[in-house]
Amino acid sequence: MALLKVKFDQKKRVKLAQGLWLMNWLSVLAGIVVFSLGLFLKIELRKRSDVMNNSESHFVPNSLIGMGVLSCVFNSLAGKICYDALDPSKYAKWKPWLKSYLVVCVLFNIVLFLVALCCFLMRGSLESTLAQGLKNGMKYYRDTDTPGRCFMKKTIDLLQIEFKCCGNNGFRDWFEIQWISNRYLDFSSKEVKDRIKSNVDGRYLVDGVPFSCCNPNSPRPCIQYQLTNNSAHYSYDHQTEELNLWVRGCRAALLNYYGSLMNSMGAVTLLVWLFEVSITIGLRYLHTALEGVSNPEDLECESEGWLLEKSVSETWKAFLESLKKLGKSNQVEAEGADTGQAPEAG
Amino acid sequence: MAPVLPLVLPLQPRIRLAQGLWLLSWLLALAGGLTLLYSGHLQVQLWHLSTFLAPSCPFAALPRVALAAGAVALGTGLVGAGTSRASLDAAQYPPWRKVLGPLLVVGTAGGGGLLVLALGLALALPGSLDTGLEEGLGTALVHYKDTEVPGHCHAKRLLDELQLRHHCCGRHGYKDWFGVQWVSSRYLDPNDQDVVDRIQSNVEGLYLIDGVPFSCCNPHSPRPCLQSRLSDPHAHPLFDPRQPNLNLWAQGCHGVLLGHLQGLASTLGSMLAVTFLLQTLVLLGLRYLQTALEGLGGVIDGEGETQGYLFPSGLKDMLQTAWRQGGVAHRPAPEETPPEEAPPKEGPPEA
Repeated sequence: MALLKVKFDQKKRVKLAQGLWLMNWLSVLAGIVVFSLGLFLKIELRKRSDVMNNSESHFVPNSLIGMGVLSCVFNSLAGKICYDALDPSKYAKWKPWLKSYLVVCVLFNIVLFLVALCCFLMRGSLESTLAQGLKNGMKYYRDTDTPGRCFMKKTIDLLQIEFKCCGNNGFRDWFEIQWISNRYLDFSSKEVKDRIKSNVDGRYLVDGVPFSCCNPNSPRPCIQYQLTNNSAHYSYDHQTEELNLWVRGCRAALLNYYGSLMNSMGAVTLLVWLFEVSITIGLRYLHTALEGVSNPEDLECESEGWLLEKSVSETWKAFLESLKKLGKSNQVEAEGADTGQAPEAG
Repeated sequence: MAPVLPLVLPLQPRIRLAQGLWLLSWLLALAGGLTLLYSGHLQVQLWHLSTFLAPSCPFAALPRVALAAGAVALGTGLVGAGTSRASLDAAQYPPWRKVLGPLLVVGTAGGGGLLVLALGLALALPGSLDTGLEEGLGTALVHYKDTEVPGHCHAKRLLDELQLRHHCCGRHGYKDWFGVQWVSSRYLDPNDQDVVDRIQSNVEGLYLIDGVPFSCCNPHSPRPCLQSRLSDPHAHPLFDPRQPNLNLWAQGCHGVLLGHLQGLASTLGSMLAVTFLLQTLVLLGLRYLQTALEGLGGVIDGEGETQGYLFPSGLKDMLQTAWRQGGVAHRPAPEETPPEEAPPKEGPPEA
């Protein structure tokens, strides 16, 4: 009992082949889209690799790029096959390869589905690299004269301005590190000396933030220093003031950005996967329909197309049997003539 | 009654003309489409910068006229492509025959006029940008503090975002901020002696400080941004205000915006010039094709030679005919409007 049998006459076969040809070329375009999505994600990750500690995983964009290329290759090949399918002489040269090609297609579809799932799951690993990277970035904020780290201030400032965020989890992260370089501190001032003595590591800690944390939506000019001192500024209460600085932390902002990017890429990849599955199914029907043409000279005859020759459980059993046979025949070859009798498979 | 600029067109050159015209028409459609898109882009940019451009500035008219001109060029290109394609096939030509006459009139008068207007605007208007921006930025600077005054409450946010995005500070430099009160009086402590001194130090009673808003800060500076007491050389260690430094953005927003908008206008101007050139060529080609095929009486594949021409007779004769036919509704119109564009070509043949 074949699975999902469909009768095909000549006209239907021709229509199927033409439809598949068109779908394959559309799928090549879809493959190009997936490729460019992967490339875009790779570039975006590279742009901000400074705040990700240079240890972010490029698995998702690389696999999207690979899948895009493979999809283009397979689908253009399938398009050529569908084009030749209507001509028996040309089709004859593809005939022996078609079964293994379909197996490869099925494997490709499985891998594509897994890649689409990965797009949704990578968020977790990104969170940890971001947390570490931002912490280090803020630590090196003041090292504008240390080679290798001199760009960190500019990177963090531009990041906070662009993503409308402040600090790692919030603006208070800036209170815990020294972000003003010693070169710009007046060590003869009493205030500076007091602050440095007030903590074990001898760091100049202030309750202030860099200018890039300022929120332009605030009705008053930005308050950056003495943020926890209500009396330092007229009509200011630091506990109710919300518009002065950006409230969001940069880790949450970046995670949000990359998360939504990857979610939409995952959704597009799933759509492409559905399209590919339908192409594979159509190709299988075409394959079996053309196999079923009993008389190669009489093209007008009807044939049947199916997905699997027997039902799913029977096919699975036959597959396992053939695997066992394969294993046993290898065993026989290894043992050589000593065994004498080759055990017959059931 | 000699035709103006006649051209003998046997079958092969006619086919070549039609094919070349088809290609040119698609190029014209492409150019028209690009002009359309680019003027849309300019319109969006202007909309974003509308606060900083005085409402009296006529610059806003340019993208609208260019939009219309681009649309007409696109339409001309598409119809021209259809006509030249149809002229190669006897069965398809008759419906296009009727369209061709009005198209040539509309294309020349409407499209040509719009394109010339748009070109003129693109060349003349950027000059008025200077005063428009000067006024607009000045108003924005003055209203920076008015975050609770209806109508001006967005000035602070917009000006901050402008300075952050375009990397500029003040109108012509950061010192412009020293001359306006940019801190709202609501956040000034009336009991603070410094505040009272500053307010009393000038005629208008403004609280002027030698400081700038945070959006003027330059992230490329190696030291944390210095925004206040910029004129005092002793206020900050290692900072001498007489030395050029990376602390704040050095350019004024006026210069930056002027350059930006003038660049956009000049690109649009060159696109309009190319579209104008293509449209002239396409309309000329279509006219020659039309008159050549009329000479054959609509039989496309005729092997005979025909003449294509711009106008059946010289300008004087045409005006006389038009005068005589004065009572007929709108008949003279097609002969009268083309001369607006054609006089430079008519001069030599008539002389």
